[in-house]
Amino acid sequence: MIPVRAYFRLFSAYLRPHRRRAVLLAVVLVVTIGLQLANPQLIRAFIDGATGGRPVDELVPIALAFMAIALVHQGLLVWATFLAEQIGWSATNRLRADLTDHVLHLDMGYHKGTSPGELIERIDGDVTALSNFFSSMMIKVVGNGVLLAGVLVLLWVESWIVGAAITVFTVLTFLGLFRLHGVTVPWHKAIRATSAEMFGFIGEQVDGTEDIEANGATGFMISRFDAIQRRWLPQVVLGWTGWALMWSASMGLYFLSLMVGFVLGAWLFGIGTLTIGSVYLVFQYIEMAHRPIEEIREQLVDLQKAGASIERVEEMFATSSRIEQRGSTGLGDGPLALTFDHVTFSYDDEAGDEVVLDDVTFDIAPGRVVGLLGRTGSGKSTIARLVTRLYEPQRGEVRVGGAPTWDVDLPELRARVAMVTQDVQLFRATVRDNLTFFDPSVPDERLHEVIHRLELDAWLASLPHGLDTMLESGSSGLSAGQAQLLAFTRVFLRDPGIVVLDEASSRLDPATEALIEQAVDHLLEGRTAILIAHRLATVDRADDIVVLEGGRVLERGERDSLAADPDSVFSGLLRTGMEEVLA
Amino acid sequence: MTKRTTPSFIRVLWRLARTQPWRYSAAVVLWAAIWTMPIIPGLIIAYFFDELSAGIDPETVTVLVVGTFAYAAGRSVMIFLGMRNHASLLFRAAATMRRNLLVRVYELPGAAAMDETPGEVVSRFRDDVEHIVEPFDITVDLIGAAFAGAVSFAVLWSIDPAITVVVSVPVVIVAIVSNRTGGLVRRYRREARDATEAITGFLGETFFATQAVKVAGAEASMLDRFVQLNGIRRTMMVRDRTLTAVLEAVFRNTVNIGTGLVLLMAAGRLTTTGDFGISIGEFALFVFLIHHVTDASYFVGVFIARAKQGSVSADRLSATMKGEPWDRVYERIELGLDGSPAPLPGAPPEPEAFRSLRVRGLSYRYPGSRNGITDVDLEIAAGEFVVVTGRIGSGKTTLLRTILGLLPADAGTIEWNGTVVDDPARRLVPPAAAYTPQVPKLFSMTLEDNLVLGDERNDQLLNESIYISTMRHDIDAMPEGLGTMVGPRGVRLSGGQIQRSASARMLNRRAQLLVLDDVSSALDVQTEQLLWTRLFNARTDVGALVVSHRHAALTEADRVVVMEGGRVVAVGKADELSESSPEFRSIWEGALGGPSPG
Repeated sequence: MIPVRAYFRLFSAYLRPHRRRAVLLAVVLVVTIGLQLANPQLIRAFIDGATGGRPVDELVPIALAFMAIALVHQGLLVWATFLAEQIGWSATNRLRADLTDHVLHLDMGYHKGTSPGELIERIDGDVTALSNFFSSMMIKVVGNGVLLAGVLVLLWVESWIVGAAITVFTVLTFLGLFRLHGVTVPWHKAIRATSAEMFGFIGEQVDGTEDIEANGATGFMISRFDAIQRRWLPQVVLGWTGWALMWSASMGLYFLSLMVGFVLGAWLFGIGTLTIGSVYLVFQYIEMAHRPIEEIREQLVDLQKAGASIERVEEMFATSSRIEQRGSTGLGDGPLALTFDHVTFSYDDEAGDEVVLDDVTFDIAPGRVVGLLGRTGSGKSTIARLVTRLYEPQRGEVRVGGAPTWDVDLPELRARVAMVTQDVQLFRATVRDNLTFFDPSVPDERLHEVIHRLELDAWLASLPHGLDTMLESGSSGLSAGQAQLLAFTRVFLRDPGIVVLDEASSRLDPATEALIEQAVDHLLEGRTAILIAHRLATVDRADDIVVLEGGRVLERGERDSLAADPDSVFSGLLRTGMEEVLA
Repeated sequence: MTKRTTPSFIRVLWRLARTQPWRYSAAVVLWAAIWTMPIIPGLIIAYFFDELSAGIDPETVTVLVVGTFAYAAGRSVMIFLGMRNHASLLFRAAATMRRNLLVRVYELPGAAAMDETPGEVVSRFRDDVEHIVEPFDITVDLIGAAFAGAVSFAVLWSIDPAITVVVSVPVVIVAIVSNRTGGLVRRYRREARDATEAITGFLGETFFATQAVKVAGAEASMLDRFVQLNGIRRTMMVRDRTLTAVLEAVFRNTVNIGTGLVLLMAAGRLTTTGDFGISIGEFALFVFLIHHVTDASYFVGVFIARAKQGSVSADRLSATMKGEPWDRVYERIELGLDGSPAPLPGAPPEPEAFRSLRVRGLSYRYPGSRNGITDVDLEIAAGEFVVVTGRIGSGKTTLLRTILGLLPADAGTIEWNGTVVDDPARRLVPPAAAYTPQVPKLFSMTLEDNLVLGDERNDQLLNESIYISTMRHDIDAMPEGLGTMVGPRGVRLSGGQIQRSASARMLNRRAQLLVLDDVSSALDVQTEQLLWTRLFNARTDVGALVVSHRHAALTEADRVVVMEGGRVVAVGKADELSESSPEFRSIWEGALGGPSPG
């Protein structure tokens, strides 16, 4: 079925602001259709006039009027297209924005399971299908629908028998096509799914050329490409077969109505009910009734796609974030306290999944700096993700400034808790936009000030166009270390109450790290901080130490007292030679 | 402005047709039949009207009805065959282009293969390929419609040459109009495509960076930017579509103007019998067949417009091929769609046993940047552990990439066992060398597929690789073990797990020279050290070239290469260097972590 109801259910709110333009569009369409219906009447007048022996100078104006009407009709159709496209794109742009907003707010678990390529396909591919839905719906389906109705009415006026017969065939055609449509929908759905898989694959390949080429995997990857193609081809052939079925069906029914035209035309002309011009008119209208059916049929092809698109868009809207905005507690200014209260967490809710944090408890007083130590997989990064509420614990509570994270206004939480991860994401945009995340309200002076404090002035000066220098996404342009510095600047730009540096310095080589130590000192001044690092150097400035092992807290305490206690794990680490023994 | 790199679009289409000569020929024949057949009902209708005026008998009506039915059945069969053939034809054309593009992407230096974002490249594979297939598709309709038009023209000519000639005038007008507007169509389409590409690129980047965006609380400003890009696209799209509608209106009007002209010229000559001019039946045939004369002109117009749009896409694809001749995109290849897998690019020859790799005067500079490496010398022999160290931006990663051919060297030589390697990208791959990049990528398939990469599975080797890379415990902890599907970009794994999987992947190549870019970002010291120990216990004959600034690596290295500003400033054992090289000392002390507490 044409998913009209689903479409308008999804879309009515987005169309409402364009009501006036939509009314105009409707008026233009109605006039267009009127003109189209008038033209065959002129031809009848011409034929009956010619065969009735009317003089040429009465026939010529009819021919000229015919041409004039045709021209105006096409002009109006262009206008209607313009209006429909305007409405369609304006409305779907808002839908795109809402969808993007929604998806951006979905939890990280969702994003882990969904590739960026897939999301592009949903947000842009599917929604563009909906935009086309609107313009073709209005112009082709509604416009042609009204035209069809007009043709049928005029046929009834001409002769009720002909009218009734053609009406029956029209209804049959539609029923048949809808039926077929239902059969072919899953075929097209399968094609789209494989298509999404293919382009998801391509996106990954292009992103991983280094890994693939240097490890000699190009042949393997091409064979995977071939395997997807092999699955895809029969689906595509089946899809086209579906169109052939629909085309044949609608054509077959057209010729059935033509046969009826022959029989009834011969009979009604014979008994004198219709003139020869009227028989011709009937044939014209039969043809005219067929074309809208054809066009509506063609549109079904697109609208089937839209049906699948609507389903996916609705599905996406229906996906709710496991990280809900529940509370509205504010956090206030200044450093914030941080508490992990018997926190247990695993990335999958399903039972049997590895527990990443197991009953973790610790407190950080406002303004304290905590060094978090532990080997890979001990849960250090996970702690950072819980503090920023990218995830929520299954048991226990994380409290920031005394309030459970779930109860804090989420934007407020994200504004007040900053995190620098190991993997810095750059955008293909100016340095300025990369620093501000495209927020134009951040003044350049502020950027310069922060860059100055980071002692990156020399770096900025080395850029050919300063803050306006375009960066490339991915690896070209900035080295990983420089990207890391950029990420620091991003954080410095805000005024967080808690800073989490998640292995932030790990990819900086130590010489450069020394350069920003001073700046980090500035950042930590008057803030609560968690420093996650493999190197003990990074936790030098820590007041307290937490050592994690296998998702549990192995040891915690003041750094100085732990260092002084010969039995502590931490002092063991210090004694036996710094980083080399980190447990 | 995309540079024109493709000679002419017709030649592009010709190449494409030549990849499947039989299927394309079949399509032309089938669609010529499908487009020409409707002349039959035209003749039937004409016959009906002429008989009608003369007083039709029921037998004639019966014959007409049966004839119409037979026609509809026959054409349905043709449509069915034509569609199925067409599906296969167009799919294979697109598949050929995509596969050739993909192969080329792999041929390009891996670290500089594409200038565009992944989203934009996907749009090349998807949209640009489609924009070439569309006009390719239309050529078949065009030929069919032209044939139908010629037949129709002949039929009409036999009725009244004068009217036939006058009716053909709009065809000429359409051709002129579409030629005139071609440049504009091309520009509008390009701008609309660019706007779309900006959007897909931006979305792709945003979702690659979701966590960063969330943590920065930057959802709102990212969204504002997205809305802004959408607004630009709307303007471009509406313009493009409206122009298309204008052109279509022009084409459509050729039919109406033609009908009007027939009416004008028939005025005064139209009679029921046709004795003095033309009959009603002939008139009906004229009006019916004008469609067919003008259908061809419609397709000419659509084709010209689409071809202009398609040639923009062809230019983009040529650009994506980076230096290869344009026609490689359309080269006939085995697609492996019929069950038997397509042949794959040949594996490099088995190199002689690794003795040494020697790099002389190697230089590379990133285009439009001062960053890069200059005049680097480096040596590594079998069994050696060579560590490259240096500050950020000192060129460590660039050096590894240039040696492996992942970046094209500007100058310098690379020798494998004393023989110059002209094409490191082809030669320094498994089984000669294998690589773990700084930020490794895994792919959406099982962990096993990610590690084995299509090689014949060798359990002993695989287990050893997993063991050395300290990945055993992680895999055992996964419910599905090696069969675990790695999610998009491997993000279901932790950073350390991805890093270790990538190391295992490298080890599983059984290469003789292992190249590793800084594993310290994701591995803690102990894990890293374990990795080195296990590696050198198990594979005594391999060479390892590693970027690191970790103590463990530096002390164990047979040789440390210190880089600064893209040049090698010191080479030697760690203890020597801490005497002789201030740069090394500062790195070493940095690695120690400043003044010792306690």
